[in-house]
Parts: sequence; structure tokens; C-alpha cells
Amino acid sequence: MDTRQAAAQTARDLFEAHGAAVYRFAAVLLHHHQDAEDCVQEAFLRLLRHLEAGGDAANLRGWLFTVTANAARDRFRRRRRWLPWEPAHDVGIPPAELPDEDGRLKIARAALARLPERDRLLLALRAQGLSYRDIAAAARLRPTSVGRLLARAADRWEAAIKKDHGYDLLERHSNPGAR
Amino acid sequence: MTCLNDIQIQALADGEIDAAAAAHAASCARCAERVRDRAALMAGIQRTLDVPIDVSPRLARHVEGIFRLKAEATEAAATSVDAEAGRGATRLRGSGGFRLQAEDRRRWMYSGLAVAAATLLAVIFIVPALKRADATVSASEILAKSASQLSATIASGIEVLEYELVIDGMPKDAMPDQVDGTYRVWQAIDHNVPGHFRFASYTADGRMLTSIAEDPLRKRRVMAFTSEGQPYRFEVSLPSNATNMSLPELQRLHMEASIAMMQANGNQLLETIDGPSGKLYRVEVPHASAPGTNPVWDLSEARVLIDARDYRIVEFAVRGTMLKQSYSMSYKLLNHTIAASLKPDAFEVPGQAGEIVIKGGGSTVPTHDVVVLALRELTKLKQDR
Repeated sequence: MDTRQAAAQTARDLFEAHGAAVYRFAAVLLHHHQDAEDCVQEAFLRLLRHLEAGGDAANLRGWLFTVTANAARDRFRRRRRWLPWEPAHDVGIPPAELPDEDGRLKIARAALARLPERDRLLLALRAQGLSYRDIAAAARLRPTSVGRLLARAADRWEAAIKKDHGYDLLERHSNPGAR
Repeated sequence: MTCLNDIQIQALADGEIDAAAAAHAASCARCAERVRDRAALMAGIQRTLDVPIDVSPRLARHVEGIFRLKAEATEAAATSVDAEAGRGATRLRGSGGFRLQAEDRRRWMYSGLAVAAATLLAVIFIVPALKRADATVSASEILAKSASQLSATIASGIEVLEYELVIDGMPKDAMPDQVDGTYRVWQAIDHNVPGHFRFASYTADGRMLTSIAEDPLRKRRVMAFTSEGQPYRFEVSLPSNATNMSLPELQRLHMEASIAMMQANGNQLLETIDGPSGKLYRVEVPHASAPGTNPVWDLSEARVLIDARDYRIVEFAVRGTMLKQSYSMSYKLLNHTIAASLKPDAFEVPGQAGEIVIKGGGSTVPTHDVVVLALRELTKLKQDR
């Protein structure tokens, strides 16, 4: 197998293993499934180029999230620059229905959507299990700042949910059967 | 060791091991409790965010297409290089030095060819795959078709347009009526008689704000507007050599030039959306030119909505600077028809109650006429006193 074939196979394997996680991550950041899909495609195209060029193959999972975060950031900022348009045309494709028996997931996501962009990015990266070092690379932060910023982001999210809806994110997840 | 701070608690909850902090948490019930709480919160966040959604089959297909086509493009280019390397005059030459030089040059050329081939394949196959599923033409092509549709002159008939216009910045400041910048505009353009038209703008409640009509056959222009509650009407004769560009032409040129600037930008975003009467193309161009590079006219953002049936512009919005002053304009087509004829008074500016009528000889520039005639009337009044 030559380098090109090996690169394509590695990229395929990584898509198989992490494609869904990368997509979920992009969807959390962008709230728009088509944009999220575009980000995933962009990330894997870049991955292929990176591998073909003999780029560093250590921690490709972290690399993928960094590239996706950058692509999402670009899209998000580009989107914010648009002039007000017909609201009917600006509605993104609604996300797929998720299992959400009592609607709390929806509430949590609505609260998340109101958090600053960086908070959402940090929480979404951490939710994918990335280490502080990888989070720092993807969020363009110093590794020593990640813990502090992540703690604040988590606090802000929890406070937003509690303030608006008076429920604790912890309650639901520590006791999923509770209503 | 003193109790752990929030950052240390967070790090421990996230499994970022700090031996000293971990040892303290093991021996301090309060800190251990805080770590457990934080870990539970982070687990909750993780469950909320990492919901079980899989990639759609469409996305999987597109990504696989990228892998396959990229590999094919690279392979095709490499095969062509390999095949070419085995033949040609330079292979027979004995001079190692020359041969090396020739191969270097050829390698450069072939790598250029490979890049071109890969780019071509990427443009033909990969880029459409990256776009929305039903977008089969590029943004640039759509803009080009729309621009040619704009510049295509209607041979005959009377074109009637109704649209909503929202302006802000410099043009709004220059408007005598000083309303909120939102106008409903009605236009009739007589394509049987070049330069024959009437424009009128109205407030949302239907009150006429301004109107201008030109009739080159009768050599006459009428303008009406209201300033500080007083309606004015200016009736001027047109100079015999009036060859100026009419307002419809100026408006069309502004739109055409904006579209040309959008086309020149390589960063267009294209998507198709369903409008009330069928498919629409939406082309968005962020920062069509770098801000401040052109002191006369700079477009910083632009969006256009184009009817996929006939490439007519349905909505158009731009933001930029004109003479270094910021402006924005948004246009939304409400109605467009081409009629064989209109009512005889359709090209007449209606009179308004209590209007002051000023008559005189006009020039090719309507605003100039308003100022000159108004000053002339003022002078007359002063002299009569």
C-alpha cells in the first residue's frame, strides 16, 4: 500500500471512529446541521491532505477537533456578519429529534446556546473527552488557562439553567429515572 | 496543604492529575465532596452534549466521495508524471548535468500539471459535493446569469416594479423626508420610449413621500416631495441635449456593479432555499472587498436572493462605504410585471393638497434643479419685498 492509499485508509478509519463525534461537536457549536456537515467534510478533507503530506500522525483525534473548531469558528463569525434578512430564510434546518422525555435536554441546550462562543467551545471539547492540552490547542488558549475557563463555563451553564428553569442539571443525570 | 481552589477541583474532576491536589482530596472530606460534585456536573454536561446522533448517510457519502476523488486525482496526476518520465528526448541524452536540469524543470511542470488536474477534479467533483445536495451550479455562474438577466434590455412594453427598499447611512441622511429609511417603491419604466419613467416612494401606511417622472417626448420632468410637512412640486423642462443616464439605468448599474463585485470574490456561499413560489438561490459574500481599500465605493458584505426559474433578483442587500461614508441598502421585490400599456396618468406625478409648485428650465441633474429653482424663487421673493 503506497502513502496515498495508506493516507486515505487512515482517514476512512478515523471517519469511522470519530466522524459522528466530530459532527456532534460541530452541531453543538453551530446549531445548524448543514453547517455542521460542511465542517465535518472540511475537517476530513484537510485530514487527508495532512496525512498525504506526511503530517504528524500523533493524536489525530485532537487534530480533527482543532480543525473542526477552527472551521466552525470561521463559519460562525462569517454568519454573524450578515445583514438582517428575511427571518423565514434564516432558519436553519431544525436538528434531528432527540430522546428527551421531559424536555430538560431542550432546556439545557437552549441555555447552552446563550453562553459565549468560547464557553460552548470549551464545554463541547471537554464533552468529547479531550485533554486540557488538546482543548488548549483547539481553543487557542494556554493549557494552564483551560481548567479555570472550563470551570467558569460549566458554572455559567449550570447557573443559566437554574435561573431560567429552576432545575439542576446534576439532578437529572445523577438520577435519570427521577421526574 | 490548604483546601483546593476551583481550578484544582475542576482539573481533578476532569482527570487532569495533579498528584499533590489528588493527595489532598483523598485526605480532605470537603474537597473530595467538591470533586465528586464537579465530576457529576461534568458528566451531566457530557451526556447533554454528546447525544447519540450518528452521521447521516448523505454526509458519509460525501466524505467517502472526498476520499475517493482526492485519491483518484492524485493518482491520475502521479500516473501521468510516471508515464511522461519514461519517455522524451531528455532520457536519451548522456549529459547528467543537463538531464538533471531538464528533469527538474519537467518535474516542476508536471507537478504544476498535477496541481491543475487535482484542482480541476476538485472543482468538478469535490466542491459540488461540499455544497448543498441540490446545488448544481456555482454561485459565480448564478451571479453571472443574474447579471446578464439584469443587463438584458426589455425590448418593448411597460415594466412595473414594486419593491421594498431599506436604506441606512449616507443615502438615508441625504433624504429630505428623513423617515426611518424604509420605503415602498413603485416604478413604471416605458421600454417603448427610452427615458420615460415614473418612480414613487411611499411610507408603510401608503402616504406618498416622493415621486419623479420624466417624459423625453414632452421634454418634461416633474418631481414631488415633502419637506417639514410642506409638499413641493418642481416642474422643469428638459434640455434638448439631455443625454444623461436615467434613474432606472443608474439603479440597474448599481445592482450590476455590486453583483460584479460579488462575482469577483472567491468566498461566495451558495445554498438553495424554498421560496413561496419555488426554488431560490441565496448567494452570500462576506467582505467582497477589504474595508477601506477603495475610497470611492467599497462593498463589505452582500447577499442576493435569486429566483431559480429566471435568475431574477428577488432580494438584494449590500453594506459598504460610499465616499468613505458607510451605507447599506436592502431591496426586496414585491411585484414585477410587464404590461402592454398602463392607464394614461400612470406616468403623471399626482398633485398633493397645498403643494407649492415651482416651474422652470431644468438640467440633466434633478437635485441640481431643485436647489437652483428654489434659490431663484427665494431671490424673487426677496426682490419683490
